Amino acid sequence: MVIDKLCYRSKLRYTNAGEKFAFSLITLILCIISRSILIAWIVLATNGVLIVRKGGIPLFQYTKLMRIPVTFLVLSTLTIVVNISKTPLNAYAVPVGEYYITGSWNSLLWGAQLIMTALAAVSCLYFLSLNTTMTDILGVLAALHCPALMIELMLLIYRFAFVLMDIASGIMVSQHSRLGNKDMRTSMSSFGKMAAVLLVRALKKSNALYDSMESRCYDGKVNVLKENYPVKKKEVWAIILYEAVLCGIAVFIKSGRRL
Amino acid sequence: MEKKDRILEADDVYFTYEDGTPSLNGVSLVIERGKKIAFMGANGSGKSTFFLCCNGIHRPNKGVIRFHGEEVEYSRKGLLRLREKVGIVFQDPDNQLFSASVRQEISFGAFNIGMDEEKVREAVDRVIGELEITPFQDRPTHALSGGQKKQVSIADILVMRPEIIILDEPAAALDPRHTRMVHRIVEQLTQEGITVIMATHDMDYAYGWADEIVLMHEGKVLCQGTPAEVCDNLEALRMTNLTEPAVRKLFRRMCEKGILSAAGKEPGTVQELEQMILAL
Repeated sequence: MVIDKLCYRSKLRYTNAGEKFAFSLITLILCIISRSILIAWIVLATNGVLIVRKGGIPLFQYTKLMRIPVTFLVLSTLTIVVNISKTPLNAYAVPVGEYYITGSWNSLLWGAQLIMTALAAVSCLYFLSLNTTMTDILGVLAALHCPALMIELMLLIYRFAFVLMDIASGIMVSQHSRLGNKDMRTSMSSFGKMAAVLLVRALKKSNALYDSMESRCYDGKVNVLKENYPVKKKEVWAIILYEAVLCGIAVFIKSGRRL
Repeated sequence: MEKKDRILEADDVYFTYEDGTPSLNGVSLVIERGKKIAFMGANGSGKSTFFLCCNGIHRPNKGVIRFHGEEVEYSRKGLLRLREKVGIVFQDPDNQLFSASVRQEISFGAFNIGMDEEKVREAVDRVIGELEITPFQDRPTHALSGGQKKQVSIADILVMRPEIIILDEPAAALDPRHTRMVHRIVEQLTQEGITVIMATHDMDYAYGWADEIVLMHEGKVLCQGTPAEVCDNLEALRMTNLTEPAVRKLFRRMCEKGILSAAGKEPGTVQELEQMILAL
């Protein structure tokens, strides 16, 4: 919801969607393949600057969004970094009775790598979704020859997520104003009823929508205008340069390690 | 009335929904080209169902619909031909707008009637200008107000340049400013020669605006005629829970009191009555 509101206000909204798509995807892939902490830092920094400075997304909004995956990542890497074993490992060891809560330098490094690359990858996706509207992303997918059926479904789901959310919140407000949430029991039952009504409404809406589309000569294929924002050569070169540098660093690090 | 002026005809149309609720019980009427027709009647009197019959979404169980004197063909091609010429603006824009982008939404119908992309772009731009959509054309449809959604849903149909536009309660849930805007758009449509059919509960508006009023009651046409004729039929008004328009009531009383003379043309709107009083 927040992302959707922000992307319509982004200053990068009218930049060619294909460029943004390519940038975020290639960077994402490089991050994941290289698994390098240095690259992750570079990517995080560039995306931060692009999103906040160039895109004009408020810093606090961006950090708030970035905090969502952090909890997940910390919890999941804990299992790698923390071991319970009878023999202490080389990084740290806390004796608990006969056992040690312990970890090795390798696993610590691995954990840090995982967290950083994952965060950088998420920032790539945020870059795309905070600066590109859903309809533009669908346009790119269409240009990439994604199956039309899939794109049409995404178009309808995106639109109707909002319609159904409106209905759901309306029902919920009306339930609350009649004390539908006075205790746990009633609020559970209210929620269930809301879900049931929502299903019925969704079916009705879909029928009505189909009628209205048919009355506009719908013939099984959704054909709509594609919005094209011009490709800027300067931006394309900047992206190529950036990705090449990232690639270079990745290769350098990998080969250095082998030596 | 000459035959060629009959743009749409219904002849003894019956329609029952799949769950068995009868909706139309023998609707017969003739609509002339270029006229402004107001459909009035209680909720559930069959207005919306009849509209869906007019462009072939519903196929009557009995009776026929004729467009330009020719019986509607329920083949794929026949239906597409009909729907290209008869457009419906639905009551709830949320049932009509399927795209998050205003421009994409409007372009849908234009593509469907086989325009090429260049033409579609032109047509969409033109409609966006005509209906004053420009200020919010880059906003997503879910962020628009009710009135703005209504403007877009009218543009959806207008972009196809149909011969008949059917508006199902276009002013429902709109604020006065947007209601006036919709009324202005409707006036524009008529001037372009488009036949406009509108369902409304607003008798005062219908009385001043319409060339003809059709009163629907329990799936039948109770009466059809000029606003004055329909308002003379007090029995029909009573059955459909409608009241005489305020301007007419006022004018009659003023004539009785000898303030105005009943000889001239009756005023259709409050503004016209105001002018008559000011001219005294």
